[in-house]
Amino acid sequence: MSASSRWWDFWFRPTSATDLGLARLLFFGLLALFYLPYDFSGWGDVSRAFWQPLWLFDRVHLPLFSVQTLRVMQIVWKIALACAAVGLFTRASIAVVAILGTYLLGLGHNFGQPYHFDALLVLAFWILACSRAGDAWSIDAWRRRPNATAGLPLVHAEYRWPIQLILVAQSLVFFAAGVAKLWTSGSEWVVSDHLALLLQRVQYNISDADPLLSWGSFISMHPWLYHGMALSTVVVETGFPIALFSRRLRVPMVLAGMGLIIGIRALMGPTFEQFLFINLFWVPWQRVVDHLPARVRKPLAVGPLVEEPQ
Amino acid sequence: MNRPFTQHISRTRLAFIHLLIAGVVGGSLYDIVTRQEHWPFSNYPMFARVHHSRVLTWYRLFGVTADDREVPLVEPAYLWPLDQSRLAIGLRTVYQEEGNGPRLHDAVADALRRYERRREEGRHKGPELRGMRLYSVDWDVVPYATNLDHPSSRTLLVDVARSGAH
Repeated sequence: MSASSRWWDFWFRPTSATDLGLARLLFFGLLALFYLPYDFSGWGDVSRAFWQPLWLFDRVHLPLFSVQTLRVMQIVWKIALACAAVGLFTRASIAVVAILGTYLLGLGHNFGQPYHFDALLVLAFWILACSRAGDAWSIDAWRRRPNATAGLPLVHAEYRWPIQLILVAQSLVFFAAGVAKLWTSGSEWVVSDHLALLLQRVQYNISDADPLLSWGSFISMHPWLYHGMALSTVVVETGFPIALFSRRLRVPMVLAGMGLIIGIRALMGPTFEQFLFINLFWVPWQRVVDHLPARVRKPLAVGPLVEEPQ
Repeated sequence: MNRPFTQHISRTRLAFIHLLIAGVVGGSLYDIVTRQEHWPFSNYPMFARVHHSRVLTWYRLFGVTADDREVPLVEPAYLWPLDQSRLAIGLRTVYQEEGNGPRLHDAVADALRRYERRREEGRHKGPELRGMRLYSVDWDVVPYATNLDHPSSRTLLVDVARSGAH
């Protein structure tokens, strides 16, 4: 296959609308639940003495809004997240999620230091806002049902590229983290006692959240454990893009990536939970639906929502 | 031009999609190669630098109670939404940029106001404070942080008293 053919195949090979639609439903649904109790308005009255703006806030002159304004913004954002999940006015909802989400999720990073657990979500918001993610598994699709044949066929190139672009962005996140370690510290990151020291340092209440488990200290006392973990981390991070191209290695690499995120949260503290939701886009949802027992699939088969691929 | 699978996508739309792909991939690669951070793009440098020293130096706020006890303010609820990482790194940045000046004083005074307001609102069960102090604290790092309450040294950077405290 020529390079050009590979390009078109990678981004635009026709894919079922269910792959994108169901991933959208679950992604925004989980985010809506995750952020429901979170109150962004607290940032509105943090002293300007802490304000160290991100380049985006600096360049675009985004202000620090008042507590009241932030309250209104977050209510609108959370409603938009729910609408994006159920697919109600999907395009507009996801656009609102992207615009307000960029501000609300970015806001905290202007105080002290930028964290890295939600940047990928913002990229995913904008990618989905430009996609046709509401064509299936959405109220919009259900309402259009009588005219469904006027829309796109349920297998189309438009349903592939958003998924691929989100997964490429995620792969570059892991790749960047691996490269940063090798570039900054080289093999010393693996062969020195760095990880052991890191696992001990985080026990001193220095992260945005404390580790869920104290096993880090245990691991730090067993060189074969922490050297093995350090090597695995660098290999998985740097090699993660392989998951995009190798069917055989996709599942192990994605599971290893999830393991890394869970490991960081459990042993070191940083709160990366929402980063895990991106992995929904790896799942071939049409195949999952196809494998559901008929008695489960039948009630779901409302109009175009789970129509078989053409 | 041969463009498999996309005959039903307009040229304008296809150009837009390619621009988006170029933006996301280009933005990510730019930050990786230049080792910079342009949120939401980043080179993800966390934990990349190897630590050689077993001494951990961290900026930490301590509350001063009415009976002159000092309590470390590490409960997330005390100063939410500021957490132990953002708070310490933010305070360190201010100190490194401007020293023990009005901005650092304002930042600690704001933390004290925040703590007391949240306490009065019942958002945490910490003791009433008459002041707040910022220290640079050194620990000799050991497993399980058994010396957490006994740092090897502390340097006072700022001492703020609560107005109207008694």
